[in-house]
Amino acid sequence: MTIPLSGSREARPFPLRRLAAWAAARDLAAFIVPGPDVARTCGIDLDAAGVRVAQTPRHAGVLVLVGELPRGLKKAAAVAYAQMPRPRAILAVGAGDVSPLPEPDVWVTASQRELAAGVEELRRLFAEGAFATEAAGFDIEEIRMETEYVCPMHPEVTSDEPGSCPKCGMDLIPRESAGGAGHEGHDDAGHGDTDHDASDPGVLVSHEGHGSNDEMDYQDMGHEGGGEDSGGHEHAERGEHEGHDEMDHGGHEDMGFMSMVEMTQGTPRSSDGLQMEWTGAPFGPLFPGLPGGLSLTFTLDGDTVANVTAPRGALGWDLDGLETAPARDFPDLLALLDPLSPTAYRLLALQALEDAANTVADERTTLERVGALERERAASHLGWFSGFGRLLGYSWLEARAGQIQLALLRAADAEEVARQETEVGKLVRRVYRTPMLARRLKGLGTLPDTAETSGPVARAAGLAKDARSGGIYRTLDFEPVVREGNDAVARLWTRLAEVEQSLKLVRKAGAVCFPQGMLTSPLRSTGSATVETPRGAATLRVKLQGDVVSATELTTPSSLHHQFIGAVAEEREVADALLGVASLDLSPWGVAR
Amino acid sequence: MGQAVFTGFFGAAAIWFGVVVFRTSSMVRSALALLFSQAAIGAMFLAMETEFLGVLQLMMMATEMAIMAIFMVMYMMDPGGLGGMDMTHQKRASLVAGALGAVAALVVALLAGWGPVATRVPAATAQVHDLGIEIMERSMLIFETAGVTILTAMIAATAIAIRRRR
Amino acid sequence: MSVVLVLAALLAGTYVVAVLEGWASTGRLRPAGPLVSGLALLGRESLVPRKPDRIFFEVAPPLLLVAAVLAAAVLPLAPGLIVTDLATGALFVNASFAYVMVAVLMAGWGPDGAYAMVGGFRFLGQLVAYSMLVVMPITAVAMRAESLLTTEVVTSQVSLWNALYQPLGFALFFLAAMAIAFLPPFDLPIAPGELAEGVLAEYTGWRLGVMRFGRALLVLTLALAVTVFYLGGWFGPVLPPWAWTALKTLAVAAVMLSVGRYVPRLREADVLAWGWKYGIPLALVNIFYVGVVLLVAM
Repeated sequence: MTIPLSGSREARPFPLRRLAAWAAARDLAAFIVPGPDVARTCGIDLDAAGVRVAQTPRHAGVLVLVGELPRGLKKAAAVAYAQMPRPRAILAVGAGDVSPLPEPDVWVTASQRELAAGVEELRRLFAEGAFATEAAGFDIEEIRMETEYVCPMHPEVTSDEPGSCPKCGMDLIPRESAGGAGHEGHDDAGHGDTDHDASDPGVLVSHEGHGSNDEMDYQDMGHEGGGEDSGGHEHAERGEHEGHDEMDHGGHEDMGFMSMVEMTQGTPRSSDGLQMEWTGAPFGPLFPGLPGGLSLTFTLDGDTVANVTAPRGALGWDLDGLETAPARDFPDLLALLDPLSPTAYRLLALQALEDAANTVADERTTLERVGALERERAASHLGWFSGFGRLLGYSWLEARAGQIQLALLRAADAEEVARQETEVGKLVRRVYRTPMLARRLKGLGTLPDTAETSGPVARAAGLAKDARSGGIYRTLDFEPVVREGNDAVARLWTRLAEVEQSLKLVRKAGAVCFPQGMLTSPLRSTGSATVETPRGAATLRVKLQGDVVSATELTTPSSLHHQFIGAVAEEREVADALLGVASLDLSPWGVAR
Repeated sequence: MGQAVFTGFFGAAAIWFGVVVFRTSSMVRSALALLFSQAAIGAMFLAMETEFLGVLQLMMMATEMAIMAIFMVMYMMDPGGLGGMDMTHQKRASLVAGALGAVAALVVALLAGWGPVATRVPAATAQVHDLGIEIMERSMLIFETAGVTILTAMIAATAIAIRRRR
Repeated sequence: MSVVLVLAALLAGTYVVAVLEGWASTGRLRPAGPLVSGLALLGRESLVPRKPDRIFFEVAPPLLLVAAVLAAAVLPLAPGLIVTDLATGALFVNASFAYVMVAVLMAGWGPDGAYAMVGGFRFLGQLVAYSMLVVMPITAVAMRAESLLTTEVVTSQVSLWNALYQPLGFALFFLAAMAIAFLPPFDLPIAPGELAEGVLAEYTGWRLGVMRFGRALLVLTLALAVTVFYLGGWFGPVLPPWAWTALKTLAVAAVMLSVGRYVPRLREADVLAWGWKYGIPLALVNIFYVGVVLLVAM
């Protein structure tokens, strides 16, 4: 008999359990991979389908996979799945092969109607299969840990056996690191239990306990984990100090005892003046406050971020076939690059190919392209507002911006888009009037003046850089939106103004659907184009051999801004650091290459 | 009779939690054990029908001990206690001090003139009222002095902690 | 008998608060929501993190529950309907709310996770900010009632509710109550966007159910405290006293739950700064003002 649910809980289905199963079916909570931003861009609304969105896999029962996932994200999703308490299930929305995860319980394409049907199917599966007499276990490489023994005062002393440190005589304490065999179970586990708290690149960190290898983290600064990090931690928090110049030792003269004061003497002090132990904590790639797929590791000094490591290409996203694609497939392939703004990249490819063919699209096509691009820009900014609102704890913005974004993306023509203009206007005015918002964001995410930026980030610094200036945009009376401040507040105001501007442009252009380009045979072997994507200017250079693309060179705004994560996050409190990073509006997909 | 039992029980609990403070090597457990020790003393006060003192003790100790937990985590290595560090220091001096303190307490308890044993305890509302009158009349100077001293200490501590600007 | 009635009323009230909470966050009113969620949570596995401080991890949810129940035990629902009318009731309410903080601290330290830890210690910072703002308005309320008995506090408001008599104290106590229950915008320990549910992050299954229940009960108890201290408790025309208490309490709870949606989360440094630089002087002014009014009115 096949198990109806991939993640059933092993128990005999007694009547009370059947009731719990029915309840679980009615009360579905989903954890979305790579994130709600991608889900909305694909046009699906889980809330409307009756499913709650959970912030952490531990509070979720359904893992929702949206779109094609790169290899690194699939691994992260597998770890998130391992963290979900059973009964659990997987819902795949337009996703391809999802190994190492188990087979999804329900497959749907990215349309709201199919999603609703899929959710009903999921409910049925839960009601039937939440408890099963035989449940499958789930074991992956990343959540197995191996134990080694290390001295708490001398992290370089390690051994595979318990014993004492040759330097100070203290007992070695066990420390676990990823990769190996040796894991513990926990209560309420079913057969084949591997559902322990995994050290995961996604959401939660598991450490080997309080107090062990803190020194390791502060001495060994290159300690990146990208996630598989089990840093020890103990912190203390704060009071309202601004700094100590001298600290009293309080009379500890016993041998072998070192106070925190002595241990942290001479180390650099964090911005709030408090001297504390340093701990590495991963924030990403499935962290709710960051764009889905962005993987950061913060080294926390108390609750201040002392150091950020942001590996590029952590997603393992390689677009096969991009470099030997026939020219007519090339735009579609490039559109797959960034699920958050496919239209912009499709347009980029088309324009680069048209440049190689030395042709220019006629005015009507260009206008239609403008309409489509601007609609995407407005939708992208609204999606950013929603994520930013979630990070800020501003639930109304999170909900409203998401709704308008979905309405915009589902609009069939310019008329429907025009109807959203009043709603957007109301949202913009309400955000301007929000108490304490400007105060909260002031001074966060500032970049040095010499920083080379693009898109809304540059325009928020007073630079009138916009790849749209000129050409057909001049006939539409386009002026770039420029604000002063170069911080998170300025970027917020910039994007708010840009949403309204984009909707006006859509109205003037009169069309929102992307026209299919007709490509003639290229006359030259190279072509290049620049398009103002919602996040900034992206430039593409293609080399052609006949009808086939032989080489591409792509610069995306997110890869430009990625280097500023450190500048924006370091020496700031965790929440401020996250807000600063979010204000850059990075697309992790644009960074991976 | 029941009162004696409860008082004794909470007293024993206070002592037991106090011992736990030093037997564990985790800083946070130590601080919270001290919290529960003080809370047990508050419960003792309640058992002895001094309602105001009991409630006050419970309230103050929760906040104070939690703040102490922070300071212990901040200033001590290995707050999680995994290193199995010994929490006792200066053993001889503290044994002597503890013994002397116990003797002093016993001496005071047994030899001080406490007056006749109260056979009737005033009602709780009357206690609160009398306490208020006492603070406002006879003991006002004491409480005012204590209050101002604490305020001075707070201001001085904050002033010392602020980084001097050159 | 009254104990049973009070506990039943608390249970019913907590259920309604949970429904209100769901309505505040999703905009949809689902009367059966908490029941279904509770059943679903019971059916889920309750995972324990790999290396928790087991005592703290287990004790935190029940302690949260106990602290809320103890506070509710000294608050009157109607004349004579109170579990125990302590002579120091108003102070005892504050004492039990202090144990909420202990519970959250345990929940932060126990699971051995970075997010929970940051959340737990942030809450302690928040406590330093709000704790004075709970006690000082209560002092002013007790001054008017000339007693710490909670029933006396209610009866002293027969002519004019304290919310109008001492509006400054009302505002401060209301905000401090929201901070105790870590409701948005004071939800630093949970911070759904920043800390992935912070102190609640590692709780699953029935333990999460207990935490959520405890928090809803805490919100109810705080709303009841606001009603008793400032909104005249059971006084009101036409309806029976317990109905008025229920209405007022649920109205206060609804306001507490929905206000936070429209404002961004407050930074901890701001909470501390405003609490001490503005809150405490205002609370002192409130006490002074009440004292003057009482003397003049005599």
